[in-house]
Amino acid sequence: MASASTGPKTEDVPMVDATHRIDELYEQCASRDAGTIFFQRDLSGMQVAESVEELLALVNSLCSQQLMKMMVFDNEPCWKVRPRREAEKLRTLTADEGMVYTHIDLAQAEGVWSKALRAKTNFTQAVLTKCLKALESKDLVQSVMSVKHPNRKMYLLKTLKPSEDIAGGLWQSNGDFDMGMIDEISQIIARKIEVDTCIRVPASWNNYAPEDRGAAIAQKKAQVMGVRDIEEAPAVRPYRPPVHAGSARLVHKDKPHYATSSSMAAWLNAAEVLKGRVARDEDMEQLLEMMVLDGRLEKVSAINYRTALNMSDAKVYNGFVDAPCGTCPVFDLCADEGAISARACVYFGEWLGTDSEEIY
Amino acid sequence: MSYTQRETPVLAELCTFLVQDHYGELAGRVYSILARYGRQSLQQMVRNSYLNRRQVSLGLATLVQTHVIFHSSAVAPLSIYEIDWQQSYNLVRLGKVVKLVEDRFGKNASTVIGNLLEHGHTRIGDLKSALFPPQEQDDEDDEVVNGTGKRKRSNGTANGVNGVNGTSNGATDADADAESGSLKTVEEYYDAVETLMRNGWVMKVEPTQYLGPGDYHQIAEDRARQELWGGDNPSGTKAKKELTSHTLRHKRATRDAWSECPQFVPRKSKEQANKRVKVNGANGWAAGGDDGAFSSKLEELPIRVNPEKIAVAMRTEQLVRLVEQRLGYITARIYQVMLQSIETEIARCFEEWPEPIDLSDIERNGAVPPTLHLVTAHDVERQTKDLDICEGLDPHAVSKITGHHLDKSANLEDPVDPSTLGHHERLQLVHAHIELLSKDPFHFVTWHSRAGHSQWHVEFDGIAKNLIQQEIENTVSARKPQFGLKLIRALQRKGKLDERQACIAMMMSANDIRGVVNDLTVQGFVQTQEIPKVERREAKHSLHLIWYDRQRAREKLLHDTYKGMIRILQRIAWEKEKVQVVLSKAERTDVVGKEVKYLQSDELIQLNKWKNSEEKLLLQLAREDDLVAVLRDFYGPLISA
Repeated sequence: MASASTGPKTEDVPMVDATHRIDELYEQCASRDAGTIFFQRDLSGMQVAESVEELLALVNSLCSQQLMKMMVFDNEPCWKVRPRREAEKLRTLTADEGMVYTHIDLAQAEGVWSKALRAKTNFTQAVLTKCLKALESKDLVQSVMSVKHPNRKMYLLKTLKPSEDIAGGLWQSNGDFDMGMIDEISQIIARKIEVDTCIRVPASWNNYAPEDRGAAIAQKKAQVMGVRDIEEAPAVRPYRPPVHAGSARLVHKDKPHYATSSSMAAWLNAAEVLKGRVARDEDMEQLLEMMVLDGRLEKVSAINYRTALNMSDAKVYNGFVDAPCGTCPVFDLCADEGAISARACVYFGEWLGTDSEEIY
Repeated sequence: MSYTQRETPVLAELCTFLVQDHYGELAGRVYSILARYGRQSLQQMVRNSYLNRRQVSLGLATLVQTHVIFHSSAVAPLSIYEIDWQQSYNLVRLGKVVKLVEDRFGKNASTVIGNLLEHGHTRIGDLKSALFPPQEQDDEDDEVVNGTGKRKRSNGTANGVNGVNGTSNGATDADADAESGSLKTVEEYYDAVETLMRNGWVMKVEPTQYLGPGDYHQIAEDRARQELWGGDNPSGTKAKKELTSHTLRHKRATRDAWSECPQFVPRKSKEQANKRVKVNGANGWAAGGDDGAFSSKLEELPIRVNPEKIAVAMRTEQLVRLVEQRLGYITARIYQVMLQSIETEIARCFEEWPEPIDLSDIERNGAVPPTLHLVTAHDVERQTKDLDICEGLDPHAVSKITGHHLDKSANLEDPVDPSTLGHHERLQLVHAHIELLSKDPFHFVTWHSRAGHSQWHVEFDGIAKNLIQQEIENTVSARKPQFGLKLIRALQRKGKLDERQACIAMMMSANDIRGVVNDLTVQGFVQTQEIPKVERREAKHSLHLIWYDRQRAREKLLHDTYKGMIRILQRIAWEKEKVQVVLSKAERTDVVGKEVKYLQSDELIQLNKWKNSEEKLLLQLAREDDLVAVLRDFYGPLISA
């Protein structure tokens, strides 16, 4: 299987016994970053083996000791090292367990459903359960409830983190939304966006003196002339609405920095609120969209969000629900006459402070 | 069937109430026959009721005069009568219409409108002689300095104005207003009529207006057939399409002709007279002779209120209210100025008979751009001189425009008095407000060009759809404050969802959602659907979807609102019934105005209490009517979401 381009470099090294060579090769590979994948040229480049044949023999023995895992990439074989402790555990497996383990290993972070596992291995349910139990007790695999299919048990290697598809995103833990965290983070985000897109204006920000020159002149004129000319009536003062008596209120900023999912994700990660976890743009988009549904934010364009403001203090709904009928629990039963009718309605009575007809 | 003519039993009940309230019991009974049995002839109506022919005809006369029913006498030898649901429902709006007109064109115009509404239609000349009866020519007017033969309105006219018996419903307020109205001279009356006609609030009366939608469609189609195929029925899909399009064109043309403004002869004396009013406080239409009046042909012209315009004005009010809630008082006023300045050009909220969209036609000629109604910041600036236009803006923007500095806590160091600002600064401030409007997710205005500092138009259709959605959301959030609103919004944005997708969108657990879905389904705002994945329809192997359809929710809410309005009317009747004894005493002619003297203290308390509850109930009725306008009048059927 040796490719011509990467011919093995033979060097005249005194013969060391095979186990030593194996250890050397293993150490060399393990010293690289975890999860590195080695092709044949990489291994031969380590200059451990004398020839291709020897190298293959070394690799084979490593594989049989479960210290290396053979894979295929683009029709070319490649290898990955396993930690020694894991390899030790693997060596204790029975053949059946090993087969199940391989299948679980193949699925990686996506996990594999126990039923699918049975189909692949052709084991009986009892055997499979036994194997899985053994693997779990050896701390090699873990089972996770799928989020997509809540009644499916998914198996994957203990060392792996369940993927989004089965474990849910940042906001979920154990397949359920982490409401406490969502509430906290959304409040933090809401505050941040409010600062970015809105400004708090004190009530007296533009406290101009009601200096009424126009009126003064007109009055003087009227006094002098003795009559009040209709066309010289004092100018009408600009009307100031009394909506914000003494309290500061929020208005939209003139030049706002609208939030986007990526900017908020970056900000949140920089603030390190999520201990050790990282919010991706998709996670943040999900949260922001949810806040729009909640009415805390509003979308200005396809990707920009801003705080939703409400200028009036009291929440006004509409004519229908502000009347008793709008929220009446027996609205559908209400008829023109009878026990439930406008005449005998207790809610109307309460609302108007009047008596209703009493029907027995 | 025409979309607006689809009635529900609830609407029928509501309208019967209103007609009975406004036009008395006989008219109400005749109306209820039509409401129960639908389209029918006089003969059938007599058979279907305990009334005799004379009574039915009398009732019909009132109903026809006030336009609450259609009849087919213009096209068929045998008249068939049918209810005009839109027009009958409008009875609840009479008071509101008078107010809308008064805000726009002043007291004089509102007096005219009030009379037209109460009478249905009238000739210009007849209304004039009702308001200014000719027999009292030599009545002297003391208040005016130079009262040269000016005619004052006398109390005698009151009966003429009040010909129909209005009762409790807002219309009485209209009448009261009309009574104290400022319409003092015939000249003013003509001015008011002309203003109203020019602005599209008042239109001519034509026999075709009395045709029900079916008959109206028939004559339009017949005409189209006559023109294109000489009266034969066309065959083939293409020809049929052409027929539809032609029919619609005829429908539109006939309707548009109704509101065409007649030729007003420029009245010579008008300008002078107006000047004289200012100088002397009087004007002489008698002295001016005929040149101050309309031509006799115009006097004979029957006129009525244009119902479509009412919806346009109500839309303006509704939008202004919404802006006030979202962006604050001053911005709302600026929006009001913008909307009112384009109101004249807008004949209706939506086209009931739009040209069917032909894709090949668009490819050939390019899409025809809809006519835009434009308004510039410059125009707005001129009309907002009395507003404190610095309010509601970011102080930084104000500081940048006016050059006044801000301190740390966003206070202006040197306050700005908006009345001292120059034209250019004010223009920029107005522009800043308009920017706020355009940036809002509702997109209240849309930028058009740079003319007049900045030129804007309003995309009413999109806003109207959002308004409907907003009202549905309001209703849901009042009933299910926490999650109902969230669910509706999620479904509106993402379409049909199964439980898991809904959970992900709302970031909630399935258990929390289930209850809300159930409640909203029962209330009719949300629907559920089951799609089997396998041949045997097993629940386990089916998709269970939750979905929301705006049109369905809209119709459901509209239906409920009608029902709520009926309940309010019934409650008013009940409250009145309770104090009937006191009321009949208080309404005696010798007691009116001297209640304190003649009534006992507990009677007075009862009377006040009744007045308070009536006021509260009527106010709520008017607000429910606003909701109906949003749901029904601003946008045609939502074919798809």
